[in-house]
Amino acid sequence: MSGPAPFDRSLLRLRRDRAAGRIDAHDFLIREAVKDSLDRAAFTTRSFDRALAIGGAGLTGEEMAAGPMADRIGWLAEMDLSPRMAMRTNSPAFAANEESLPLAEDSLDLVLAPLTLHWINDLPGALIQIRRALKPDGLFIGSMFAAGTLAELRECLTEAELEITGGAAARIAPFADVRDAGGLLQRAGFAMPVSDLDRRRVVYRDPARLFHDLRGMGETASLSDRAPALKRAVFARALALYAERYADEDGRLPATFVIANISGWAPAPDQPRPKAPGSAQKSLAEALGVKEESAGEAAQPGKPKP
Amino acid sequence: MSQTSEKTKHEVDPRLLEILVCPVTRGPLVYDREAQELVSRKARLAYPIRDGVPVMLPEEARELTDAETG
Repeated sequence: MSGPAPFDRSLLRLRRDRAAGRIDAHDFLIREAVKDSLDRAAFTTRSFDRALAIGGAGLTGEEMAAGPMADRIGWLAEMDLSPRMAMRTNSPAFAANEESLPLAEDSLDLVLAPLTLHWINDLPGALIQIRRALKPDGLFIGSMFAAGTLAELRECLTEAELEITGGAAARIAPFADVRDAGGLLQRAGFAMPVSDLDRRRVVYRDPARLFHDLRGMGETASLSDRAPALKRAVFARALALYAERYADEDGRLPATFVIANISGWAPAPDQPRPKAPGSAQKSLAEALGVKEESAGEAAQPGKPKP
Repeated sequence: MSQTSEKTKHEVDPRLLEILVCPVTRGPLVYDREAQELVSRKARLAYPIRDGVPVMLPEEARELTDAETG
């Protein structure tokens, strides 16, 4: 990792500690991410002897018990950066830092990290640690808020602050651009990496509820470079801009959350793997049972176009 | 799943001990049931266990004395 770490991990821990007591009222996005990660595990049709949930607000145990993975996960532990958050679950649990995982090598069959990865400073490093903790052919399923999350709010805050103070500070965490999430997993040594994006619009009758939810989830920005407190006038102006630009007919405000899902397998010798490029013995047309047609002029290397 | 009873809640699940190592040295941990600590000799740190939940954060760990490591 080059440059200073963008996220203040002790501040994040504090925020999660504080959120632990009242997260129930604000956990809908986290609960959905937990369910989604379990559904993705269920989709593999495998059973997993030992599983770990990193993050997930202590909801993975109860969601697992209520869903299709109930008899396909033999044992589940839950982990959180915040000891208080870790204590919320009835599963065996521990507190640990996602950036230095205390996990024995080859000890787990499944690692879930629902809505956990966006506060990690060194994501490639964390992914390598997770891959090492997995047994060969073990599965990792993680998700994070990605670029585009809270785009409306970010735009209105920046504009309001520029208007009133003549400058603007980062108020919302930078989100990873996950177009290369597959590459990220591959560099961390995962086989068969998969990534996709989910876009969620949450509609708020009262914009204050959005802030309650963010704080309630422990998701207000935990940035190393903390901006000075937001002026009341800036905040009021930002909300006015938000309403002006985004309110629907009933005056409700939408907030966009973009969730990036990534998954991959710890490599194992008998896994299916792609063949080397150029090693095919048959043409694609032959494999598909169609007639190959010329696409027009062949490229002529070395000859510049007129 | 058979781990939800109140009684087991405050005991460390033995399988947790099988997956955990010291986050600093990645070395083994020794479970001190009496003190409710997970001890990493190599790191000279004892990680507390609170209500059955090991807190594997070096900043929360107790430094071992010379007598303990000797």
